[in-house]
Amino acid sequence: MPAVVVMVVVLAIFALGYRFYSEYLAKRVYALDPAFVTPAHSQRDGVDFVPTNRHIVFSHHFISVAGAAPIVGPAVAVFWGWGPALLWVVLGTVFAAGVHDFGSLAVSVRHNARSIGTIASDVISRRARTLFLLIIFFLVTMVNAVFAVVIANLFQGTPEAVLPVLVTIPLAIGVGQYVYRRRTAALLPSIVALLIVYACIPLGQVVPITLDPVAGAIGIEAHTLWIVLIYVYTFFASRLPVWLLLQPRDYINQHQMMLALAVILLGVVVGMNTMAAPVVNNDIPEGSPPWFPLLFVTIACGAVSGFHSLVSSGTTAKQLDKETDARYVGYMGALGEGTLALCSILACAAGVAVFANNPRSEWQGLYTDFDTASGSAVGNFTQGVANFANNLFIPVDVGIVFAAVVVISFAATSLDTAVRLQRYIIQEIAEIARITPLTRNLTLPTLLAVLIPFGLAIMPGDFAFGTLWQLFGTTNQLTAGLALAVVAVWVTKNNRNPLAVLVPLVFLVTMTTWALVVQLVDFATAADPLQRFLLAPLDLVIFALAVWLIIEAAVAFRKAWAARSQAPATPTEPSRTED
Amino acid sequence: MTRDGGDGHAAREQHPGRVRRLLDAWRRFEAFHDAVFASRWRRALRREAQTQADTMRALVLLETLGVDNPVAYETLDLIPAMIADLHEWHQRMGDPEYGNPEVCC
Repeated sequence: MPAVVVMVVVLAIFALGYRFYSEYLAKRVYALDPAFVTPAHSQRDGVDFVPTNRHIVFSHHFISVAGAAPIVGPAVAVFWGWGPALLWVVLGTVFAAGVHDFGSLAVSVRHNARSIGTIASDVISRRARTLFLLIIFFLVTMVNAVFAVVIANLFQGTPEAVLPVLVTIPLAIGVGQYVYRRRTAALLPSIVALLIVYACIPLGQVVPITLDPVAGAIGIEAHTLWIVLIYVYTFFASRLPVWLLLQPRDYINQHQMMLALAVILLGVVVGMNTMAAPVVNNDIPEGSPPWFPLLFVTIACGAVSGFHSLVSSGTTAKQLDKETDARYVGYMGALGEGTLALCSILACAAGVAVFANNPRSEWQGLYTDFDTASGSAVGNFTQGVANFANNLFIPVDVGIVFAAVVVISFAATSLDTAVRLQRYIIQEIAEIARITPLTRNLTLPTLLAVLIPFGLAIMPGDFAFGTLWQLFGTTNQLTAGLALAVVAVWVTKNNRNPLAVLVPLVFLVTMTTWALVVQLVDFATAADPLQRFLLAPLDLVIFALAVWLIIEAAVAFRKAWAARSQAPATPTEPSRTED
Repeated sequence: MTRDGGDGHAAREQHPGRVRRLLDAWRRFEAFHDAVFASRWRRALRREAQTQADTMRALVLLETLGVDNPVAYETLDLIPAMIADLHEWHQRMGDPEYGNPEVCC
């Protein structure tokens, strides 16, 4: 089947989802009120709380949620065939991610734009805040471990990409300072920065940077040395103010992502390449992980991601001009993430084998078993993008470096952000546990935020993709489960039908718990002591969090339902029309 | 001769308008680009400036918080400047009202 047909059908379903399902959610489930005074107006401060045009809010929201994760998950999951991966991306985006992202935004707007964790302690129970912190702690730990390995793998596999990536660091600081000090618009400096980065691609091809000689001299693997250097960099980068490095680099990266998306979608249309991967892969070797239920944790971002609730409730809710804009921003943001996942599937199922005489056997050579598929997932994505880029007359070797630079840049900013987030979480947990040295010191929590994932990232074997990626997926889905539980209770308390929220909530929690049990059995019975004594207990802790979440959500929902039965005609939040 | 058959003078007369329109379009695009890509970074800068201003304000208004201010005399002149956006500040600090009703709002 031509990839372009798949693309058009999926985009058409997304459009229908927005037109009809999001309208149903907006009117019947979240009951958006155009007259409601949003926090952007009631708490306007000119910095965070600013009423903003909905298209601009959408672009901020989408840029915040889009990253490397919706690329990596689908690139691994294509192993089971593109059919299951695509089906989960489409159904997950329309019926779970849309409900989740849109709902988190709507509930946050009605709670003074507070974060979903704080709202959870009000709407569910005080314990829910601790549960939320613990889930986020594990989520961010996995993000930090996985993305460091993603970057190390790409640096190791594409040494031509090292120079362009390194150049972005001083370039971002320079551009940021230039725009700030000259009080000028950012457009021209951004274009110049992008041109410099891309000029470094051919330069990087001439001077590929590899750590092999240094690593050989000190007697460790180059991959391990990259991981060490990445964490050293992250430790220092996360101590810098966000406006100095993280955010200027992020906005340079955003241009790259837009460009990559355009290259993939245009490349698919121009190339008319066919899907090389089977719809369902029946040649899976014995002992491979089953797609059911692991598919639902392998693709988290791209289908439904709890991380989005943090963005919706933390930042986006403060900018909504009208409550009704939540539909466009929240639901459309989920569709944008789904489109990124679609691009990843197309690159790994069609793009990778564009030039092969026998695309199917070429693809099967890349996806022989789950470990190979996971280990080379990002490499397959970059190859696929490069092949699509070739449809637009961009040489394949340049395209590979271009795609690698995009993925590394996103993984690096995610890592930087996640280490900062981890530091706050460690400090908050330390406050609850009254561990004073961690609350009063900034270096110690940062060190912990770096050392814990570092321990996971340097484990022998390729845990980062095969296993840690799925554990990342489970924690991400648990975060989504908690956010959906908050939304479901809020909808119920307001006497509206919570079915649209309950269905994805139950589905997600069931699949995640099931996947955790499958993984637990695998780890506990593995011959490898690392799996038995490290990953099995880790899995068990996350499983305990999942059970805790189910109990908290069920109790809160039962109470809300009982209260609703007693006073069926009294919504808790009448619309406000002040100001 | 120009394409429309007129002389160069007519073209020169039209030219500034065209250039202005192009410049306007470029400025609009710059503004759009800034709003989409750079505004989050600019917001972080404003937040940083605001944090510094808030710290300054807290120091200047120490006595209103019940804390002795050893440099109260020296910072007295700053109080009018601090009062200008007092309402915005106390709302941001989580207090819907500041002191007695007639003090601020």
